[in-house]
Amino acid sequence: MSIQFYDKKFKDTVKENLEDDFMRGAVSAAQNRLHNGRLKAVEELGDWEQWRNHGQEIRQNVLKHLDYYLNELATNVEKAGGHVFFAKDGDEANTYIRQVARDKGAKRVVKSKSMVTEEISLNEALEKEGCQVLETDLGEYILQLEGDKPSHIVAPSLHKNKDQIKEVFVDQLAYPSEASSEAGPLARHVRTILRDEFLQADLGITGCNFGVADSGSICLVTNEGNAGLVTTIPKTHIAVMGMERLVPSMKELEVLVNMLTRSAVGQKMPSYVNIITGPKRAEEVDGPEEFHLVILDNGRSNILGGDFQEVLQCIRCGACVNTCPVYRHIGGHSYNSIYSGPIGAVLTPLLAGYDDYKELPYASSLCGACTDACPVKIPLHELLRKHREVIVEKEGKAPIAESAMMKMFEIGASSSPLYRFGTKIATKAVKPFTKNNKITKGPGPIKAWTDVRDFPAPKEERLRDWFDQREKGEKNNGKNGIFTKFSEPTAKTT
Amino acid sequence: MKVSLFATCLVDLFQTDVGKATVELLETLGCEVTFPRGQVCCGQPAYNSGYTKDAKEPMKKMIDTFIDEEWVVTPSGSCATMFQEYPHIFKDDPIYAEKAQRLADKTYELTDFIVNVLNVTDVGASYHHRVTYHPSCHMTRLLGVKDAPLTLLKNVKGLELVDLPNSYNCCGFGGTFSVKMGNISEQMVDEKVNCAVETDAEYLIASDGGCIMNIDGRMQRRGETMRTKHIVEILTQHEGV
Amino acid sequence: MERTAFLQNLANQLQRPLNTTEKPVNDWAFKPIEKHYSVMNEQQLVEALEQQCKNIHTDVVKTTSENLAKTLHEVVAKYGEGPVSIWDDPRFIQHGCQTLLDETWPAEKRTIHKWDAEQSRDRNFANANEAKVGVAFSEYCLTESGTVVLYSAKGAGKAVGLLPYAFVAVVPKSTILPRMTQAAEAIQKRVDAGEILPHAIDFVSGPSNSADIEMKLVVGVHGPVEATYIILEDC
Repeated sequence: MSIQFYDKKFKDTVKENLEDDFMRGAVSAAQNRLHNGRLKAVEELGDWEQWRNHGQEIRQNVLKHLDYYLNELATNVEKAGGHVFFAKDGDEANTYIRQVARDKGAKRVVKSKSMVTEEISLNEALEKEGCQVLETDLGEYILQLEGDKPSHIVAPSLHKNKDQIKEVFVDQLAYPSEASSEAGPLARHVRTILRDEFLQADLGITGCNFGVADSGSICLVTNEGNAGLVTTIPKTHIAVMGMERLVPSMKELEVLVNMLTRSAVGQKMPSYVNIITGPKRAEEVDGPEEFHLVILDNGRSNILGGDFQEVLQCIRCGACVNTCPVYRHIGGHSYNSIYSGPIGAVLTPLLAGYDDYKELPYASSLCGACTDACPVKIPLHELLRKHREVIVEKEGKAPIAESAMMKMFEIGASSSPLYRFGTKIATKAVKPFTKNNKITKGPGPIKAWTDVRDFPAPKEERLRDWFDQREKGEKNNGKNGIFTKFSEPTAKTT
Repeated sequence: MKVSLFATCLVDLFQTDVGKATVELLETLGCEVTFPRGQVCCGQPAYNSGYTKDAKEPMKKMIDTFIDEEWVVTPSGSCATMFQEYPHIFKDDPIYAEKAQRLADKTYELTDFIVNVLNVTDVGASYHHRVTYHPSCHMTRLLGVKDAPLTLLKNVKGLELVDLPNSYNCCGFGGTFSVKMGNISEQMVDEKVNCAVETDAEYLIASDGGCIMNIDGRMQRRGETMRTKHIVEILTQHEGV
Repeated sequence: MERTAFLQNLANQLQRPLNTTEKPVNDWAFKPIEKHYSVMNEQQLVEALEQQCKNIHTDVVKTTSENLAKTLHEVVAKYGEGPVSIWDDPRFIQHGCQTLLDETWPAEKRTIHKWDAEQSRDRNFANANEAKVGVAFSEYCLTESGTVVLYSAKGAGKAVGLLPYAFVAVVPKSTILPRMTQAAEAIQKRVDAGEILPHAIDFVSGPSNSADIEMKLVVGVHGPVEATYIILEDC
């Protein structure tokens, strides 16, 4: 899997997904729960705004000094006996990881959930090397069985229901067809199956929630315990880290881990926070004998130092996804990217270009719910608007009709006489379409509106006309009258 | 107190009653209200669509129109937010950077102005109806005005204010979003209407013309009996029991 | 890609010279105030911990040093038959568990797998995997989240806390801290002193769980299905 899922247009993926009633029900139910859970969890921390400001300053500091911190991290990982590889792109990362697998003679690979390895299609690369690659996060495992795609950065199989999942288990995992389709028994079945896989695996691959620069550690955050097993049993562990995902020290790690899990699922702490520093020590029995950290750029450095740098503050909590009213209806697959929701709509065009993703920045009402939810204060809705600006003003990719309309708007709206004239004309122009003070089938630009809702008829007398009359009246009466004298028009109650 | 009304396009053209009620309310509260005729559109539709350069001309026009006024008040959280954005938009402009900041500093959304500048929490209105309130996105999240409208509504005699489920979700207006992503917007406004209808209120109240036009338009299209009202239309009611 | 070239590119993007030598000053402007747990005395911390453990499906038992063996015996018995996988940690002996390990359990035909650095990793994994209960000693315990902190070491296999059906952690009362902040500070002190940290520091909060299927919480996924903390009166 790369960033992109399939060769489809945005409007088609949206149309398909709007018809998926189960997905939509599941997403809105999840959003409602996560919304309340998040609010409760952040409230417990006291002054949440203060935490957000702190989260933001930590992440901005890291980006500002990224070269220093990455060097410090790499130096300390090596000091602890680990290997570090800097990868410019997915190809470089995959080539290195394949080489490690080859050197170790690794054939059985277990992975814990990692978006960055999906971004670079690592599984496919390792399969070419003859490896069996198993996703062990429950959601990812379910998707892997079916060749399905993640629809959420934290809960990848959110779009599937338990009956669909049971069917797959019956077909592929010898799950008894008469057994329960409840989440508990289904999850326990996977536990049994994957336990043997863990014990036989010779290479473990993880992402990295945070690198810790001054201790040379990586931090993994999970609930299922799979990351623990992936980094305990196989003799080799490779962690792949997006180059911006680090913090200066344990103190900042603590702050961000707290903010991450509270924002993601409303948890105070997840079941497992693993802080891993290098490979196992010589006298230790378990843990990997070899530890590799792959630090990946893959387009991120192009974002650094530019108008969109703040998107690199992201800690992948998914709070913006969980609150987005657009995601709520169209689901993750509509975005045609492993990164969905508001963060996906900002990040995907930056990593994969506007050619395939120029619609994403428009898939937002700019309501600001994402910005409001973001624990590290990424101005997501403002970055979406910024994308539109780039598309219009730099890329020249805006539809011609829209550009023409905006040009007219500029001319019309920037001169008061023209504005007065234009609004008067508009009132007359829509008159033939007006019935009972409303328009139900509008012409031109109003059509798209009236496809969904009625459009109000403009008033015969604009507010400014009313003011003209009112001031004339005042002059004639020679009074500086108070409103009640002129309040007849609003006295009616409906 | 001299207040200059920034009416907004929607109020000027479609929701003139809201404009008149705003004048009535402010005058009742002792303000002298003027309507600078030079006002045009605040530029938000173009700006939010990415046409920043095109949006700057009307914005400058707005700044020049209002810059010498004492207070600028608007019955729209979203348009007030736009004025607050001006300093950011013009931050590199040698002339307009300072002007934009000056304008932003004296611009208020109507309920915010009443509660936090005039220090009035009860405007003396009475209205014996069951209503629910939709907090518009820009006003609550970007402008940060959350409590003022509710404070004023709670002091309207006879008003039964019921909670709107999932009130924080956007109604799907979003300016050009409503036509550019019509099918998504439709789902959003439908959910909003469903939530509103669920409350069994007579009216859905909001503080933004855009949301009102969107939600009301959908209610009408669906043949719902519920209607929308701008908050100022409630605050100017003096209904007997 | 070569490290310096990679970093140089970042510096170029940031429009400044490469810096790998001068440590940035982290003079944070914001210091969030933790309103919770910071003013609690030891007794309140324990009570809050017990409360939080209910939220994370974890049993809590309190005992004294003299009674640890008895309590551990009872806790393990609660999970039924099956081998016990336990860290090779002198603290168990210090707190009087020698007889339990060498006599009581063997007499009941309960197999004891002490983590054994002399044996192969596969042998140790197989032992832990067949165990009903894994027993470890916690370094710190965090009240707010119900978290035990485990340091990996020669006798302290990570697998003991992951592979068995149930996880039991002994928590010395003196190591109970309000929240992760204090544990992070303690770990940071070791870093500042130039130490290399243990290979693994694991913050474990109850049994494993998942909500990946229809967002419904399932307790017990890849790691332990059940968990108990034994709070040990040690001061």
